[in-house]
Amino acid sequence: MTTKILLALTLLAGAVQAQTVTGKAFGTYVNAAGVTSQSPVATLPSSGGMATGQADAFGVAGAVDASWLNAVTTGAVDNKKSGAQSTSELEQVSAAGGAITADVVTAVATAYFGQFTGGSDGEGSGFTNLVVNGEAITTEVAPNTRVGLPGVGYAILNEQLQTGNGVTSYGITVNMIHVVLQNVLGLRTGEIIIGSASSSVAR
Amino acid sequence: MNNARHLSLALGAVAAVLIAAACHDAASPQGTITAGILPGHDKGGGPCSDFRLTGGGRVDKPEPETGKSPPSSHDFATFGFQARPDAACPFNMAGSGNIEWNEHLETQYGGGFAFHGQVTLFSTPNDGSETDPQCGRFGGFGRLNPHNGATEEDVSFEVFHACDVDEPGVGKDHIYMRIGPLADGSIYFRHSLLSGGNIQWHRLTGNN
Repeated sequence: MTTKILLALTLLAGAVQAQTVTGKAFGTYVNAAGVTSQSPVATLPSSGGMATGQADAFGVAGAVDASWLNAVTTGAVDNKKSGAQSTSELEQVSAAGGAITADVVTAVATAYFGQFTGGSDGEGSGFTNLVVNGEAITTEVAPNTRVGLPGVGYAILNEQLQTGNGVTSYGITVNMIHVVLQNVLGLRTGEIIIGSASSSVAR
Repeated sequence: MNNARHLSLALGAVAAVLIAAACHDAASPQGTITAGILPGHDKGGGPCSDFRLTGGGRVDKPEPETGKSPPSSHDFATFGFQARPDAACPFNMAGSGNIEWNEHLETQYGGGFAFHGQVTLFSTPNDGSETDPQCGRFGGFGRLNPHNGATEEDVSFEVFHACDVDEPGVGKDHIYMRIGPLADGSIYFRHSLLSGGNIQWHRLTGNN
C-alpha cells in the first residue's frame, strides 16, 4: 500500500513538474556617450501569455533611426509542452550614421518543449534590402557574421546566442544588428542593438 | 464599403441572436459578440472549447509553399497571438485574447500595415482543417494602422485556422488570416506555413 502511494506521488510530481517560459523583444537599444536609450520592450510573464512593445518611430542622433517598431512575445506552459516565441521588427532602419541600412529588420526567436523533444532556433530572422558600408547584401546573412565599420567599430549581423543546458532548458537570443562602438584605440565605448528577440523554456 | 460593412454588422446581429438563444447562460451575450463572423458548429461537449492556442513568428509564401521570400522581397508578415475560450463562457464560442499582425508587402493594403486585434470568438475550425485535432479558429475586432493612411478602428478579423502540427513548427504549423472589409472594401488574406516561430495547442486544465 505504501509503495503504491509513493508511486502515485512520484507520478503526480512528474505531471506537475514546474515549467517556465521567458520571452523578450525590442526594436532598438543604444548605449553611447554615457547615454542609454531603448524603444518599448515586450516582456513575457513566466507563466506565459502575451506582451507587446511598439513605436511608430525611434531615433538617436548618429546611432539609429527606424520606423514601425513592433515587438511581440507570446508563450504558454503546460505539463505536456511549452513554448515561447518572440519577434521584433523595424522598417526604414539606419544604424551607425548610415553605415548599415535596411528596409526591414526581422528577428524571430523560438524555444519549445514537446512531449519528447525540445529546442530553440532563430528561423525566420532576416533582412530586407540590407546595405553595409554602401554594399548591398543580396543573400541571406549567416548567423554571427562580423563586419568592420570604419571609424565606428564593428557589427555582428544576425547574432544568435544559444542559452540553456540542452536537456532541461533551451533558449536563444537573436540580435539582428549588434554594433560595438570603439574608440581610436580599439576600446569599446558603447553598443547599438537593433532587432532583438529572446525566448527560452525550462522544466 | 459602407453597405458591405452594414451587411456584415447585420449578419453579426443575426448571429448574435442565434448564439444567445443557444446559450445556457445568456445574461450578457450582446456586449462581446462579434459581427462579421458566422456561428460555427456546436461542439456538443459543452458551450465553449477546451483548449487554447498561442503562437508567433513569420509567414511568407502561400501554402503549400515553404520557406522565406528572398532578401529583396517585402512579401511576408509577422505575427503573435494568444487565444482561448472566454473563462466565463457567457455564450457558445465566446473567446478572449489578442493578436498582432504586421504585413510588409507594399502592394498590400495601405502599403503594409500593423493590426492589433482583440479576440472575442473562439472555436474549432469549420474550413476543413477541423480534421486536424490541434487546430483552432478565432476572431474579433481590432485597430489597423496602414503605413500610408489613417488608422481604422473596429476592423473585423478572423483566423480561419491556426494549426499546431509539430514541434518545431517551421514548415509544418500553419495559419490562415483574414482582415476586413477594409476602408476601400477590400479584404486581406494570408494563408501560409510558418517560415519562423511556432504555434502551440494546449488543453485547458483548471484555470490554466
